[in-house]
Amino acid sequence: MSGAVRTRRLGTAVLALGLLAMSFETCADALPQDLGSLSLEDLGKVVVSSVSKKPQPLSDASAAVYVISHDDIMRSGATDLPGMLRLAPNLSVFQSSPSGYIVTARGFSGNNDAQNFPNKLLVLIDGRSVYSPIFSGMYWDDQFVLPQNIERIEVISGPGGALWGANAVNGVINIITRQAGDTQGGMLWLSAGTREHGEAVQYGGALGQHAHYRVYARDFRRRSFDNSAGQDAHDGWSNPQIGFRVDWDAGGGDTVMLQGDLHDGRVQQVGAVDSRSTEGDVLARWRHTISDTSDFHLQAYYDYVHRRDDASGSGFVLRTGDIELQHSFALGKRHRIVWGIGDRRYHYDITPRVSPVSSLLWDPAVNTQNLANAFVQDQIALGSRTRLTLGLKAEDDPYSGVSLMPSGIVSFKPGDNVLLWTSASRAMRTPTAFDQDVIEKLGTLTLLVGNPDFRREQLTAYEAGWRAQLAARATMSVSAFYNVYDDLKTVEFSPAGLPLLWGNGMRGHTYGLEAWGSYSINDAWRLDAGFSTLRKRLHFKPGASGLLGTSQAGDDPSHHGFIRSVMNLSDRWMLSAELRQVGALPDPKVPGYVELDARLGWRPTDKLELSLSGTNLLHPWHQEYVFPYSDRIARAVSFDLRLAF
Amino acid sequence: MAGLLVVGLACAIGAAAVHAAQAKSPSPVSLEYAVKATYLYKFAPFVTWPPGEFASTNAPFTICVVGNNPFDGYLERAVAGRGFGGHPFSVRRLMSLTPDAHCQIAFLAQLPAQDIRQALAAVSGQPVLTVVDSATPDREGIVQFVIRQGRVGFEINVGAASRNHLAISSKLLSLALAVRDPS
Repeated sequence: MSGAVRTRRLGTAVLALGLLAMSFETCADALPQDLGSLSLEDLGKVVVSSVSKKPQPLSDASAAVYVISHDDIMRSGATDLPGMLRLAPNLSVFQSSPSGYIVTARGFSGNNDAQNFPNKLLVLIDGRSVYSPIFSGMYWDDQFVLPQNIERIEVISGPGGALWGANAVNGVINIITRQAGDTQGGMLWLSAGTREHGEAVQYGGALGQHAHYRVYARDFRRRSFDNSAGQDAHDGWSNPQIGFRVDWDAGGGDTVMLQGDLHDGRVQQVGAVDSRSTEGDVLARWRHTISDTSDFHLQAYYDYVHRRDDASGSGFVLRTGDIELQHSFALGKRHRIVWGIGDRRYHYDITPRVSPVSSLLWDPAVNTQNLANAFVQDQIALGSRTRLTLGLKAEDDPYSGVSLMPSGIVSFKPGDNVLLWTSASRAMRTPTAFDQDVIEKLGTLTLLVGNPDFRREQLTAYEAGWRAQLAARATMSVSAFYNVYDDLKTVEFSPAGLPLLWGNGMRGHTYGLEAWGSYSINDAWRLDAGFSTLRKRLHFKPGASGLLGTSQAGDDPSHHGFIRSVMNLSDRWMLSAELRQVGALPDPKVPGYVELDARLGWRPTDKLELSLSGTNLLHPWHQEYVFPYSDRIARAVSFDLRLAF
Repeated sequence: MAGLLVVGLACAIGAAAVHAAQAKSPSPVSLEYAVKATYLYKFAPFVTWPPGEFASTNAPFTICVVGNNPFDGYLERAVAGRGFGGHPFSVRRLMSLTPDAHCQIAFLAQLPAQDIRQALAAVSGQPVLTVVDSATPDREGIVQFVIRQGRVGFEINVGAASRNHLAISSKLLSLALAVRDPS
């Protein structure tokens, strides 16, 4: 696209936002001055839903935490988790196909040619890890939560090893869903658009006096995209899902939660049957409040995944059982202790891909493994304004034995509304079956084998941050990091040359800055902005093969950022818009892009909401990840209806 | 990047213009917190404190705001000149809640669950009406604000109220979205 056209498009966007700003002035609601004259009954009828974000508590979490609120999610119109995660300034989200996404914090998006996966981010849905232990990394198409059931998403950039364990190297995403009591009544959602169609229905009710439930069903179909050459990629995706959640307040400080989901996804393939993924999970958690300063929870889940590609005959079944116990209490006046233990057992059965051209085999292909962990964290109050947090997690994994992941954080509150913190921590990405047990063949030639001596990828991270609430209207957060990596995954020669082996031949450091802020111009209009920068300095260790270059660790933009405007045009009309910019990917080269998403919502009654959303409005298409592994991401428009009953 | 900056600038200018236009009206608190502030002092007539709670007949009725103050002066302005039972309202901001703070009502604003529990423990057994802003899983405060369908409502834990020697009127209980009595 020529520079002139681009500039004009941007000019249009600027004009549009400017007009919004002007039209807004006429619709700003003044705060009612006469609340004091209302009765208690009438106070309860005042509609307060507003875009001005509650000032974020300067919580004890001394880390680069960005919280995506329920309201942000609903106003974004996002229909899948990666779409919601685009709202976080400290994450990079790349879409490669209708069902394919890569999400990273602080880089390391991996490299397909090197079979290096984006494996340095841990994702938990209500405490259930959805990180794959077979190849390390995420299958984003297997994870879905109905947007209206999400309470919030906490995005922590930076290592979380001391609390969450291995693979929380560069970040942790915690998706927290609403209690069943908060999603009562019926809800119908219909969506039709140029890119996808979806329907969902949910009902929530009471079970006696102290328990609530909800059940939902959802269907979803996303059309095939164009590949990077502009031809139909035949990779359309459908993913129906059902699920439930029950919350029971048993009294005496006991609460019990039980939830489960089941989905069956299908992705089209060129000239072959659909590849499929069936996933089911069930999770139970018992929380007990022992005293005002002490509680514990016991949680167990079971997860079943069956992914298969009948065209090539490959696939796997993975069954995971996990149990964890966590206890927190105050020790004297100064210490708050959290400790926990957990054990995860998984069984996999991998069907190899065998063809005359290339084969992917596993030895062993059927295996049961165990992952045990224990952690303790102590928050120590050093005076009224300073706090020291020390944590240590030990994790025993089947390939590398016990890993120790310590962390130390000092936080200081110079004033009521300012928090300064600095930390040092260690985190690991532990080996998987793919690193140690794989055999790859080209015809009859054994090209690459897993390496039993493959070690953990290691990180030592140094971070510092500043977070402040500037008056009641503005919040700001800035954090900087310096990450030192060692033993990063590489491809090495065996003594005889071939087959190749996985090795740990790369090290280096990265550094960068993440900043975001939010400003409520008034009760009806809020502006959010955020950006992240990343510099990588990686090199091969002496004796390493140097095959595929240091860019195999990931093809990451040096910066990305957004500006978002969220407004209530009136009691009934809402408008939000987000302009985002993502820098170019350096190697392999993918151009950077600027795109605009916008959504106009109308609530003609309290029960009905209609909305019109547009994504990637500035250009017919752009590409977010590497050729030839990613499709063109096209402009899309969608019309949604949400009805409460 | 330049494009982003241009748009940012446009937004900032737009924002500044709007901000300037309405800078005269002192209403920086959100409607949600204005409603919550109003609830706080309107709860008083529906709660009975034990006799001897006030040192004198005109001693102030103290509403304490613990943690981040989301009211930005709104509560002070709202209660100015108002009182209850001859006791003028007074607002105190506290970083942490202690038994000797002499609060009749303590609003725990946007605190981590651990801090909320610690604050509740500090005044357990004391005649303090604890009002918790953000939802904690165990809902151990006496009054818990909740947002339902865009409106501010509240739940009442009568067990916690009786522990603090407070009687809640049936009128207030009837307005609560939920009444809990964890035995």
